[in-house]
Amino acid sequence: MNIALHLAWRNLWRHPRRTWLTIGAMVFSNIILVFMLSLQFGMYAMMIDNTLAVFTGHMQVQVPGYKDDMKMRQSIPDAAALGATLRESLAIDTIAVRASTFALASSEERSFGIQIIGVQPEQESGVSTLPGLLREGSYLADPNASEVVIGSVLARNMRVSVGDELTLLGNGRDGSFAAAVVNVVGIIDSGMPDLDRSIAQMPLAVFQDVFFMGNHANEIVIKTADLSLVAETKQKVEGLLPANADLVVHDWDALQPGLKQAIQADLASAWFMYGVLIILVAFSVLNTMLMSVLERTREFGIVMALGLKPGRLGRLIMLETTLMGGMGLALGVLFGGGLVLVLGVNGFSYPGMEEMAEQFNMPSRIYPHLQLIPLLLGPGIVFISSLLASIWPAARLHLLQPVQAMRAA
Amino acid sequence: MSTVRCVELCRTFKQGDLEVVGLDHVSIEIEQGEFVCLVAPSGGGKTTLLNAIGGLDRPDAGEIWIGDKRIDNLSKGDLAEMRLNNIGFVFQAYNLIPVLTARENVEFVMHVQGVSAEERRRKSEAVLAEVGLEGLEDRRPAKMSGGQQQRVAVARAIVSEPTMVLADEPTANLDSHTAEQLIDLFMSLNKKHKTTFIIATHDQRVVAYARRIVKMLDGQVVEDISQQPA
Amino acid sequence: MMRSMVIVSRLAWRNLWRNHRRTMIMLTAVSIGVWAMIFMTALMRGMVNEMIRDTVRNLPGHVQIHHSEYRDDPSVVNSIPQPTGELLAALESPEVVAWASRVRVPAVISSERESRSVTLLGIDPARESTISFVADDIAEGRFLDDGADNGVIIGRKLADTLDTELGKRVVIMSQDPDNEIADRGFRVVGVFDAKTQQLEESFIFTGIKTSQKLLKIGDRVHEVAIIGPDFRNVAPMYKNIAAATGPGFSVLPWNELDSYIGTMLGVMDGFVLVWIVVVFLALSFGLVNTLVMAVFERVREIGLMLALGMKPIMILGQIIVESLLLLLIGLAIGNALAWLSVVPLQGGIDVSIVAEGMEMFGASAVLYPELLIADVIMANVIVILLGFVASLSPAWRASRYQPIEAITKV
Repeated sequence: MNIALHLAWRNLWRHPRRTWLTIGAMVFSNIILVFMLSLQFGMYAMMIDNTLAVFTGHMQVQVPGYKDDMKMRQSIPDAAALGATLRESLAIDTIAVRASTFALASSEERSFGIQIIGVQPEQESGVSTLPGLLREGSYLADPNASEVVIGSVLARNMRVSVGDELTLLGNGRDGSFAAAVVNVVGIIDSGMPDLDRSIAQMPLAVFQDVFFMGNHANEIVIKTADLSLVAETKQKVEGLLPANADLVVHDWDALQPGLKQAIQADLASAWFMYGVLIILVAFSVLNTMLMSVLERTREFGIVMALGLKPGRLGRLIMLETTLMGGMGLALGVLFGGGLVLVLGVNGFSYPGMEEMAEQFNMPSRIYPHLQLIPLLLGPGIVFISSLLASIWPAARLHLLQPVQAMRAA
Repeated sequence: MSTVRCVELCRTFKQGDLEVVGLDHVSIEIEQGEFVCLVAPSGGGKTTLLNAIGGLDRPDAGEIWIGDKRIDNLSKGDLAEMRLNNIGFVFQAYNLIPVLTARENVEFVMHVQGVSAEERRRKSEAVLAEVGLEGLEDRRPAKMSGGQQQRVAVARAIVSEPTMVLADEPTANLDSHTAEQLIDLFMSLNKKHKTTFIIATHDQRVVAYARRIVKMLDGQVVEDISQQPA
Repeated sequence: MMRSMVIVSRLAWRNLWRNHRRTMIMLTAVSIGVWAMIFMTALMRGMVNEMIRDTVRNLPGHVQIHHSEYRDDPSVVNSIPQPTGELLAALESPEVVAWASRVRVPAVISSERESRSVTLLGIDPARESTISFVADDIAEGRFLDDGADNGVIIGRKLADTLDTELGKRVVIMSQDPDNEIADRGFRVVGVFDAKTQQLEESFIFTGIKTSQKLLKIGDRVHEVAIIGPDFRNVAPMYKNIAAATGPGFSVLPWNELDSYIGTMLGVMDGFVLVWIVVVFLALSFGLVNTLVMAVFERVREIGLMLALGMKPIMILGQIIVESLLLLLIGLAIGNALAWLSVVPLQGGIDVSIVAEGMEMFGASAVLYPELLIADVIMANVIVILLGFVASLSPAWRASRYQPIEAITKV
């Protein structure tokens, strides 16, 4: 072992209790940081995945302005053909075309205003989980049948079940009166009350017919294999759009701006709290190292009298902090990672989490995964701030006068 | 009256693997008002005997009586009580509480005893005057000389009128002039208050003043002589 | 014992300042910790309370009365009569600040270009303006004049998507109790701004009598919303009203009407406690460390005091008092800092860059920190109590020293 390292290590254990307490502060904060960051990163990934998987997809081709206004006549001409072209050129199967409008739906007993969506039955299951969440009946099959699937809450409110008829009243794309009678063939139960209260889907071809859409539709939904491919795919899609068409590609961030901002807001408040913990640890380190320097004043005076430069003593102090911080880091990562692993198996929940989870389409029990960034980020920052905190005690050594120092009690 | 009587005291210490004999069947009797010097080289057992009499340490075997009260089997709390009310201590160094002034150091014991503020004030003032520290009442130990600090310690030791004062090497850190003054102070207090003084020392200047000298070696009393003080 | 506390506290106080650097570092840490405890709590409280106030103002009121089927099936048929008799008496009792009954049905609103599904509210403008947001937030045009007003008020976002504006006509379609389509044209007489887009898109308002005529429901209504003096304590009012309504009604307080918001209040209480304890624990390492060092440096003195006859319990007390003094000063500074940092922010902190994210949480884009006395007291009590517990170990060790060993320790 290197002599400086040896010396630093020995010095550290002159006051084992003090050293352990300081390491304890680091480990405590590190465990909290590892645990919380793993939880947050896991939750964010789930929030994004779950929110997008249900319906939105990773990106959509739309007419500019449709995203905000959702007006029926902000439509893409010859949409199904464009969808097919994209599917072929990108070699991505998970692309579907949709059209949507609002209409009054009436059953025997009830009338409700709903948003009705025209979908390509054979493509929709590639971009959305809803076709797989049927409670009763079956999903749309025949692209030309006057059929509809609706959410479970809507079905209850309208007092309809599979086999019943709904009358749709609304406006066509040209503003004229539009009406149709459709058969309820399936009832979707997504578990999300907002969605189950409002969802109604019918085949795109029928939709275009009823609402005088011609071959127009409102959005082409694209789902990539992984969230990380979104930027690259978006560029490709932009290149594939017909040159003269007034179309834009919105990625998920633009489609669901709340999602990213919710994550940012949550992270910002979380970092405020983590910052406080890290500062408190830094103070603990500062206190310990300053005490350690002050009580060795006489000793330092002697070695300086022997000709040792203050810079070397300063480095010794930094080395001691590094050793202490390294132990805090290692133990924090070990215990924090262990905790995450245990919770990854057993899951984690807290009172009220269920209601919170529902708000963000999340399961009410969360199983965090061990990932490198949340595992090392917090402990790394604690380590660096510990080193920063010991700069002052180390720098004080430059002010030391050997003779005075030797006389110090 | 409170005669100190030690019967067959034994005490050994462990120092690493070594067994060190502190007291080896020591029996001694000290009358009220005596002025006794325990003389021994380092490790001779004088501090151990002093600590045992003062109730700071418990012998392994033997009995210690103060008057008709046996103290070697008292509980910690009772021992603290006994020290508080009957015994004054003067140690070699670090005698004073650094954050307290001379007066507060003197009042410390009375505080713990629960003496009223007025009485504390009156007594501390009187006793500080008696040891010759008028005007220095509000200084903290760090601002006083070694001799002055020991005087404060003496003042504290006698302020609650203990039956005996135990002093362990009280002059070790003092120059000879200051040491003599301190011994003079001991002598006069001994005469005036009839307080027993037991002083462990190897300082010849002190020994010369004592009426009774108990010499110890390797934990045993080897000589117990009375003399006419110088 | 009381008398000796004087000397114990004096010793503790002077000892605290012996190593002033260490004390100052620890004091800074405690102050920062306490400030963070209270400041963060004030922010979170502000956020949740604002959420609740908004929610309550965005129509539910503190307590609502419905037909027992209505919440499950918000249809025109699940209506209730206007409050009379015992219920009316309960609503007029002094513990109710304001109340209003509403017609509330799902509907479709169409301009000549677009249709949207919305919730149509038939309101009594005089009563409604005392309990919900609409009257205050009319941005263009006017509020409804009376219950017979046949104009409609819509949100700004809805006006944009419908391509309509003040003075233009829209058609509102719903159903009457016989499931016949009930529709008529309305003129847009007012446009309101709301804190969230969802509100601007979802609700439209017309006179209660106009809506009753349209829906052919006589003078029946769907909901009675009631405001009490304090949303945190609706239980007494809720009980009286529940007792005054007959069977077939459902009476619910806001926290059950909106379980997400209701739960948030509870989650926040838990969060505040956990946060305060976590910050304290982070501090406690430094605190215990400081005490351990302080005791270590003073072994000889402690031995001396023991030798002179001070009881061990008073040594213990001395260390604990020293620790508590440190914490008390830190608390005083931390509380003052928290107050000083919250007061200038009372006007609100603009977080509109993440407005849509906050909307997902159900919160608004402006945070108003709220310093609750109960939270401040809780933080202070926790710090003192846990501080006492944390000091026990070093204090206990100090009191266990053997006087002669301590005195001779170099």
